[in-house]
Amino acid sequence: MTTVRVAVLFGFGINCDHETAAVFRLVGAEAERLHVNRLIESPGLLSSYDILAIPGGFSFGDHLGSGRLLGNRLRFALREPLRDFVANGGPVIGICNGFQVLVKTGLLPGPPANGDLTPDFEQRASLALNESGRYEDRWVTLEFDPESPCVWTQGLTRIDCPVRHGEGRFVVDDEAVLDAMDEAHQLVVRYVDPNTPKGEGRTDVRLPYPTSPNGSARNIAGVCDATGLVFGLMPHPEAVYAKWLHPDHTRYTAPEAEASIPIEERSLGEWEGEGLQIFRNAVDFVRNRSS
Amino acid sequence: MHDVRVEVTPRLGGQAVDVRGNVVKARLLQDLGIDVTKVRSISGFVVRSPVVASMLGERVDDLFVDPIIEVGRLGSAWLDDDTLFPDAPDLVITIGFKPGVTDNAGSAALDGLRTLFPEARVEGAAVATDLTFAFYGLPEGADGPSIAAGLHNPLIERALIQSAPGAEGWQQLGYPERPVVEAQPPAAVDLELDDEALIRLSEEGLLALNLEEMQTIRDHYRHPEVQAARTALGLPPHAPTDVELECLAQTWSEHCKHKIFAAHIHHRDEETGEDVEIDSLFKTHIMRPTLDMQEEMPWLLSVFHDNSGVIAWDDEWSVCMKAETHNSPSALDPYGGAMTGIVGVNRDILGTGLGARPIANTDVFCFGPPKWEGDLPSNLFHPSRVLRGVHAGVRVGGNESGIPTVNGAIVFDDRYIGKPLVYCGTVGLMPATLPDGRPGHAKTAEPGDLVYMVGGRIGADGIHGATFSSLELTEDSPSSAVQIGDPITQKKMLDMILEARDAGLIASITDNGAGGISSSIGEMAEQTGGVEIDLAAAPLKQVGLSAWEILVSESQERMTVAVHPHHAEAFEAMAAIHEVEATVVATFTDDGRFLVRHGDDVVALLPLDFLHDGVPQLRLESVWSPPEHAAFVAPETPDHNDLLLRLLARPNVASKEDWVRQYDHEVIAQTAVKPFVGVERDGPADAAVIAPLHGSSRGLVISNGIVPRYADLDAGAMVVAAVDEAVRNAVCVGIDVDRMAGLDNFCWPDPIVSEKTPDGRFKLAQLVRANRELERMCRAYRVPCVSGKDSMKNDYGTGADKISIPPTMLFSLFGDHPDVRMTATSDLKREGERLYLFGRCRQELGASEVASMLSESGEAAGIGGAVPAMEHPEAQREAYAALSAEIGAGRIRTAHDCSEGGLGVALAEMCIGGRRGAMIDLDGLGLDGADTFGQLWGESLGRIVIGVEALHEAEVCDALEQHGLTLIGLVVEGGRLVVEDGYDALIDVSVDDMVAAWKAPLALPVGGER
Repeated sequence: MTTVRVAVLFGFGINCDHETAAVFRLVGAEAERLHVNRLIESPGLLSSYDILAIPGGFSFGDHLGSGRLLGNRLRFALREPLRDFVANGGPVIGICNGFQVLVKTGLLPGPPANGDLTPDFEQRASLALNESGRYEDRWVTLEFDPESPCVWTQGLTRIDCPVRHGEGRFVVDDEAVLDAMDEAHQLVVRYVDPNTPKGEGRTDVRLPYPTSPNGSARNIAGVCDATGLVFGLMPHPEAVYAKWLHPDHTRYTAPEAEASIPIEERSLGEWEGEGLQIFRNAVDFVRNRSS
Repeated sequence: MHDVRVEVTPRLGGQAVDVRGNVVKARLLQDLGIDVTKVRSISGFVVRSPVVASMLGERVDDLFVDPIIEVGRLGSAWLDDDTLFPDAPDLVITIGFKPGVTDNAGSAALDGLRTLFPEARVEGAAVATDLTFAFYGLPEGADGPSIAAGLHNPLIERALIQSAPGAEGWQQLGYPERPVVEAQPPAAVDLELDDEALIRLSEEGLLALNLEEMQTIRDHYRHPEVQAARTALGLPPHAPTDVELECLAQTWSEHCKHKIFAAHIHHRDEETGEDVEIDSLFKTHIMRPTLDMQEEMPWLLSVFHDNSGVIAWDDEWSVCMKAETHNSPSALDPYGGAMTGIVGVNRDILGTGLGARPIANTDVFCFGPPKWEGDLPSNLFHPSRVLRGVHAGVRVGGNESGIPTVNGAIVFDDRYIGKPLVYCGTVGLMPATLPDGRPGHAKTAEPGDLVYMVGGRIGADGIHGATFSSLELTEDSPSSAVQIGDPITQKKMLDMILEARDAGLIASITDNGAGGISSSIGEMAEQTGGVEIDLAAAPLKQVGLSAWEILVSESQERMTVAVHPHHAEAFEAMAAIHEVEATVVATFTDDGRFLVRHGDDVVALLPLDFLHDGVPQLRLESVWSPPEHAAFVAPETPDHNDLLLRLLARPNVASKEDWVRQYDHEVIAQTAVKPFVGVERDGPADAAVIAPLHGSSRGLVISNGIVPRYADLDAGAMVVAAVDEAVRNAVCVGIDVDRMAGLDNFCWPDPIVSEKTPDGRFKLAQLVRANRELERMCRAYRVPCVSGKDSMKNDYGTGADKISIPPTMLFSLFGDHPDVRMTATSDLKREGERLYLFGRCRQELGASEVASMLSESGEAAGIGGAVPAMEHPEAQREAYAALSAEIGAGRIRTAHDCSEGGLGVALAEMCIGGRRGAMIDLDGLGLDGADTFGQLWGESLGRIVIGVEALHEAEVCDALEQHGLTLIGLVVEGGRLVVEDGYDALIDVSVDDMVAAWKAPLALPVGGER
């Protein structure tokens, strides 16, 4: 099988790099923690990887707005390599602080679906302070847009995973941006009420705290660019790579993973958690593309 | 250099919200009852750099402003702008830092500025930040100064208060200019003085040395050979330099040398007539038992001598743990003090062996009552403010470092108003063997190794922390002892150090904490037998530091690392990639000397053995007589429903969810039992379980025990209960009782008899009893103490106003969990589950939570009586082993221990977690002497409520019956907890009512927390 190489960025306060690398390894990829400055030192390095992941954390302490300062480092020092990486079909994921970085660099939501899709590094949205005014670690239920072009979320309906952020309220300055994104199925993943039937939870109607933990527009938890390659979300799917990380595992009620491969082929078998499929999707996408 | 001011404020209208303003509005209402119409916020940045305003102005949206949600402005105040701020506010308060105080947002902004403007990469460039709040609709009588007092700490921050603009508009804060300070050349300090003058010198210099210690130092300089060596190096021959005296004061401080635990004690017991001499409580009752156990426990890899204790875990990994306190700084600045506490203990882990990775934090706090309405001594914050500040500091420190806070507790008692206790603990993971074959837990420094200072720079902050914490708190306690942590600088350093460790570049490493490099390098020098330091090489935050200040400053985020010279180049290259400063400040030698230069001048020369072993042993007096308390008598006709709901609302029992949820408890993707369990994920977890190796379900358990109330009757009982609670909690989740290790963390009021402390003999006797019981419990439970800490001066003030904390020991525990998929939690799982009480109820209500509650309310005369005891700890260990094995086998999935509030509160918490009712019958619990009141609310140790499915009942009963197992009831439908005594219902309360009572007291309003 093709070796799929994943660059997992770290440094300057990124702190979910170990587990983010681990989940890619659990789905068969070769993942490497790569310091931001090693990439800046040799920008050509990026093209030797198939997938880029920007994990969660507190880059630069979230000062001057979450993701802003790391976003600037990428935007000014790695503009061309990043543009080429996406233009050449490389999947990119940003989780939590990584999502904030992608939004502040303008890689998300990226240029509108009806035009040239090459990244233009223009900021079109933001992630603002939670309406609650506080950072929280709590589990949420997410549902995915089944028609989304996002290569990361194919085949997924609903998962539980934790949010751990203080600045996760997705905002735009023009409602029309959201309408256009919705039409292009870029509003990939939303917070939903866990009591709704599976597959029927997504709504534009603002859900109350803490079902929507931050007050995001249209309950948005994550978005992709118009190509479906670049995906960012505030919640942490890597934090539920195994069922024993789900709070309900002690009650025998942790949900089964929706995985694209049979139980016996999964590295954790029946203990695979719901979040792992997201990473498997991207690895499979790269494999299928190159085969 | 130009100073350019930038102001940023949130856009309003549409989806935009001023969250910061809303938070302050909500807090004003909660804290002061002031209801304003609106609060708006403005962030200010004073940029000092070669970049001129016009250049900066073009890039404001690239750096300071988020163009989607904010607008920025250069120069004059936003408040002067009529379009964005059409109405004049009633009050404007701007809060900025005082000169020299760590400004993390400012440092981040400077870093961002340098990304955009390479010309700003010059010494002296800086950014200072501030926050402005504009208040609208201020009610009559609300005054600026009292509102400002709630928004800032004058020790470290300044406030600009305005109620109207001046002629030139609204005023703004400028750059916090540091007054120019000249470095003082080292001076000789004449110690040929009379005793009174020696003591005065110690007190006035904040040296915290006693007379005998001062005399010992003086005598050292009388030796002719000492004088000859000094003359040869150009040092004053007959007297110490200020550098030497400060260095000795730090190294010999109670904080660093644990002189009370090392003291020779004459102990008398007036009850029994016992009269004995004890040579060091530490060696006798803590070290000896562990070393004895180590003979049978080869997995104890490193105990006592390193920054944390290390145990072997699996074949490839070792784990270590350390807990310590940061009490005095947290009293003065709760936020900064607590943050430096948590990032400081993280560094202890990083500095263990050749470097361990911190993987989990625990936080245990002791505060005054959050709703305290009594008097407050001057210079002390209200307990609610201490809680908020400490919580925020630990939250920021832990979250930004990417280390999950997995377990903790908050304990309330009036006396912690005098000194809050802030215990921070960290667990670390290290490779058993490095790629180059060296064991991860052993240090390998050699003479000739270069000593690097890595991380932050040295500043005037944090001078005298070690000696200051060895003194009682007073109104004049120095602000220089307070610091604010910088988690991002530390995180960069941590990433770099661990990479250097795996590359084999580190020969030895230790943390820079109390005493600064005088302690860190001084202690490390023992590994090779000498060191030569050059203070002129040390990078400084500001000019004007004298040599002694550089040596003892405790500026944060620094590690001391020894590197073989042939690795220096690779080490420095790695530091550069991570943007971490690493500077050679010393070289290890083997000549037995601690030699300090400042450039060409020798400023200190101390023989290593005098520095480390020269401090004279204290001789202390201890006399025990049992304290007298009015006996607790239970009400004749108790209303148990009412008692239950009131106990659930006690701050010691009530849910801390809104606070704890603000800690990231599952970063690293390993937390298998989180702080919250149950249907609504809000029930209490007894212990944390983590599976830190991704893809493997092998786990670790982390738990804590702390019961200061019992010390009012007997400090020995307090320790017994703490050890049992930590082990009991760990057993509830299925720890392997053959693989657990403990940490003792003593916080005591000053136990040395003196004019200030007339009851010192009694307080020391409490410490003696505590240590004896610690030994008895640890030996019986086979839980070795592998590391520990003590903080021995937890008093405020003197005389009649003196406040001494209750003697408090936190026992932290970590150990192996064979498989995190097999664990139990406190929440009731499903209807039909059978509930058993494991353990025995004795009539033990002395110093219980219910006794305290009813005494405080006047419904009982006192708290006296039988305090919970553990007569047969060996048998208890066998019982725990049997129970843990049943959990590990998957036959028990529900378990919760009885602690504050006894069985009654434990059952209620289990119902809350499961959102299910239970039908309980106490009949059968009276065999060990407890009446129904004692059965319900007594706090006998060793008790755990377990839930068993019918399928496993026979096997579980077979395994556990011999250890005391009583069927007490059933999980039922209907959502009510009903407790009967065989005949009558004692309790009949709905789960909803219990949830409400338990969750309300410490709840935070949404939008009301910073």
